[in-house]
Amino acid sequence: MKQHSLKRTIHFKVPTGVFGAALAPDAGTLACACMDGVYLADLEAKSADQIGTHASYATSAAFLNSQNAVVSAGYDGVVQWFDIESREQRRRVDLHQFWSWDMAVSPDETMIASVTGQYLAGGYKYEPQPETEPSVRIIAAESGEVLHDLEHVPSVQAVTFSSTGEYVAAGNLMGEVRVWNTRTGELAARWTTPDFTSWGIIKSHCYLGGIFAIRFTPDDRHLLLAGMGPMRDPMAGNGRQLWQKWDWQQEQPTKVDETHEGESGEGLMETLSVHPDGQLFVMGGRLRGGDWNVALFDLATGERKAILKTGYRVTEAMFTADGTRLVLAGTQGQPRKPEDGVFPDFGRIEVYDLSQS
Amino acid sequence: MSNHRTPPAGAQTCGSSEHTLHRRLFLQGSMAAGCASVASYAGLFSIPALAEQTRRDGKKCILLWLCGAPSQFETWDPKPGTDTGGPFAAIDTNLPGVQVSQLMPRCATIMDKLAVIRSMKTEPSEHFQGIDLMTRGEKPRPPFTRPILGSVVAEQLGQLDSPVPQFVLLDPCPEGNEFKAFKAGNWAGWLGAEYGPVRAGGEYSIPDILRPETLSETDHSDREALRRFFSRKYQNEQRSEAAASYNAAFERVKGLMSCAPLFDLDSLPEADRRRYGPGAFAQHALQARHLIENGSTFVMVANGMPWDNHVFQHEMHQMLVPELDNVLYQLVTDLDERGLLDDTLVIAMGEFGRTPWLNEARGRDHYPKAWSLAMAGGGIRGGVVHGATDELGIDMAESPVDNHQLFATIFTALGIDPDESYDLPDLPTFYRVEGDATPIASLLV
Repeated sequence: MKQHSLKRTIHFKVPTGVFGAALAPDAGTLACACMDGVYLADLEAKSADQIGTHASYATSAAFLNSQNAVVSAGYDGVVQWFDIESREQRRRVDLHQFWSWDMAVSPDETMIASVTGQYLAGGYKYEPQPETEPSVRIIAAESGEVLHDLEHVPSVQAVTFSSTGEYVAAGNLMGEVRVWNTRTGELAARWTTPDFTSWGIIKSHCYLGGIFAIRFTPDDRHLLLAGMGPMRDPMAGNGRQLWQKWDWQQEQPTKVDETHEGESGEGLMETLSVHPDGQLFVMGGRLRGGDWNVALFDLATGERKAILKTGYRVTEAMFTADGTRLVLAGTQGQPRKPEDGVFPDFGRIEVYDLSQS
Repeated sequence: MSNHRTPPAGAQTCGSSEHTLHRRLFLQGSMAAGCASVASYAGLFSIPALAEQTRRDGKKCILLWLCGAPSQFETWDPKPGTDTGGPFAAIDTNLPGVQVSQLMPRCATIMDKLAVIRSMKTEPSEHFQGIDLMTRGEKPRPPFTRPILGSVVAEQLGQLDSPVPQFVLLDPCPEGNEFKAFKAGNWAGWLGAEYGPVRAGGEYSIPDILRPETLSETDHSDREALRRFFSRKYQNEQRSEAAASYNAAFERVKGLMSCAPLFDLDSLPEADRRRYGPGAFAQHALQARHLIENGSTFVMVANGMPWDNHVFQHEMHQMLVPELDNVLYQLVTDLDERGLLDDTLVIAMGEFGRTPWLNEARGRDHYPKAWSLAMAGGGIRGGVVHGATDELGIDMAESPVDNHQLFATIFTALGIDPDESYDLPDLPTFYRVEGDATPIASLLV
């Protein structure tokens, strides 16, 4: 049985919390979506430069290598393209009236999907209102032209493309997953898992939680979901650190695995990534209780293989293309007071060497 | 001039010698709170002339109790584009130069009717103590329990002979952590249980208040007359406090039976229900208006403790604030259109504010040092923004307001003397509002 170990080799801070990140093919540059804008971070130099801003928090960033650009999305509902060399904004698309919760780029870099939706009271028990704008939009990465407007129930918080780009999947507050064919825009699958959503019994009679990360397995047969298990008091944030694996291509999608008993602590999980060898996946988030907030899992068996306790909320975890390193980005709590007029840095970036023996 | 008076002997008091408290024990707070806290001083603070005046004024109050503590940044005191401002923008209002969070577009159109205090500065940073302070107006002074705002208003401005409950709490959430603990406590304090709230809403819909069809009105009246005769006889002969409470409870139930439709959400006009919005808080805010229109004096609308967003601050406020925005807008507009706003004070507040900084769990924590609330109508001047915080909302920039000054302002607006005092032999003097607080003149009509 393989043993996996993680050893931190690089760590540094950026000015504000990192909400989303993506790694360049050379594995030396990280595009970061931060509370105060979009950054390019040089991992070896342990430095980061701001290349643009959003009118609100930036939430997602990705490389468009074919365009030599970084694309970002934010809580202003805007998607922007920035030239990597000149660092100037090339294009801007006002895509949503509300936040872009998450954004993904198709593997062939032809499509960008972004998800939105404001949770508003739709019933006595605060069931979410139906959407008032398309919850999922797919645009052409080259032009920004809208290719598909896809219906979902707000708020839609996570989106991903399949490895072939044939499908796009999105999960929402209520644990509902919808999968569409990206060529036709037709719905390919739809189901709900109740295990990520809480209705507040203790303090808040409303819904909270949902799916915060979603990824296809390399063969596109399964979908991984991440979030936090149900809580009586969602305000405690003490739900189980939860992933689920679904066979979505069945006529009735079925859950085939989830975080194993005894292998989870408490806290919201909000990032998933599959190792290039297709054997492992990583899930990360916040530690509320327990001994890890980032863990490696065997993709086939679901068994937990290695853990990390980073001391900060991890919002993005990803492997380098050669699979030898794990890159993490996230945020500590915001410092309480400025020092000399500036808040101390609280965004975090770390790199771990991954060894398997 | 002292406005105090001693309770009339035997009137609304249990006559216990325990009322003769020893000053030292009182100051030490070591007196057993149980009996004392339920001691009934119905005459406390009552001044016939003032009471008569306020009854003529017909002042009433709706408290939108934002329990858990909302964020001032996402409501009344936005700091857009700053390190602490959060993800939401600010929008202009119909008051030149005044902005509110983009989550409050409706209230932005009626800011000329609202009074906003942006400079609340209080002490408790924990919920129970904060709730206690902001509903009673004062920190605890054991062994006496100070009545909460609703009880004082019901006692001062309400009509005891009305079958409609004078103080109603609408809260569908049976839990609520610290608020649950607070709800289990003694709300009416020294005023006595008859000034406590009737609780309704959601799971607290009042059961069994409809006369069974098998019982005729005549039979029901005959049975009640018989019950009243024997229990009064027992009460008088045995000087039984328990029997007195029992009788009071029956009177209240009789009142509730006669006004049961007021508590039926389904009986409210569908168009009104749609306007207010579908959520429990919104529906109960509409019910509050209905109760006020029909004779209640104080209605407190709560929904558990939903504002305590240590995690998911912005994810929760994106839903809670728009609901509050619409509820406050509909309530103030309705009351204004019905000619009731001048006599009905609407208060929207929680027990403190939330931190300027975000914690790691994407939440804002408790922050009593600089927070906001809003009021409208009922003797409060609209179109006023009182006080200010600094650029980042960390500290007070001008005109801090504490609980004393706030309650002095609220009582004055309602026509209730904030300076009234009450003396017990060998005990410190109680004031309705302690600390020589003066009302905020700019907020008063």
